[in-house]
Amino acid sequence: MLSSMLRGSSVALRTVSARSLARPVGVSAMMSPIRLYSSSLNKDEISTRIIDVVKAFDKTTASAQVTNETHFAKDLGLDSLDTVELLVAIEEEFDIEIPDKVADEIKSVGEAVKYIETNPEAN
Amino acid sequence: MSAPSRSQVLSLYKQIIKNANGFNNYNFRNYFLRKAKTSFRNASDLKDPVAIEEAWNTAKQELGVLKRQSVISQMYTFDKQVVEPLEQKHHIRS
Repeated sequence: MLSSMLRGSSVALRTVSARSLARPVGVSAMMSPIRLYSSSLNKDEISTRIIDVVKAFDKTTASAQVTNETHFAKDLGLDSLDTVELLVAIEEEFDIEIPDKVADEIKSVGEAVKYIETNPEAN
Repeated sequence: MSAPSRSQVLSLYKQIIKNANGFNNYNFRNYFLRKAKTSFRNASDLKDPVAIEEAWNTAKQELGVLKRQSVISQMYTFDKQVVEPLEQKHHIRS
């Protein structure tokens, strides 16, 4: 009986210690400065989200088929001002800032997908 | 100052759009977006260098106003208009 009491108390002790340990671990995990960089973004998800943004853009004609190969100027008939607007919409979708130099190079859906893919801050 | 280059104009346009998007209030936000869109589009076929420079300077001044006013706008809360989607971020149409 004594041994069973002892065993019980040791179990109780263990659970208490486990609980007291568990809390600081949980807190530190929440406060930890580690950022899980865009691990959830895969190429397909990026391109569906970009295509959604492009389709929602008010100058895009509803009938236009938007794919990865869609060129902003040639296929959608967007001029440079429209492209800027579209890129701002994409920036907001992914919470990033595309530098002007890079933004000049992005002229199609595929190029935008490629840029977002390589940007660690996109989410 | 001479006439602005193409990339400078596009950069200014981008900054204006971004700052206009910073407005919390739907009416202000959309007013400034519409205003920027129409004024840049109207200015895009200007030929006269004096007129171009004038448009450039006006737009730059407006960017300054936008920056200040959008920050002020963020200090206040506004009720959402019925036309605004409640969940704006990452809403994926299913």
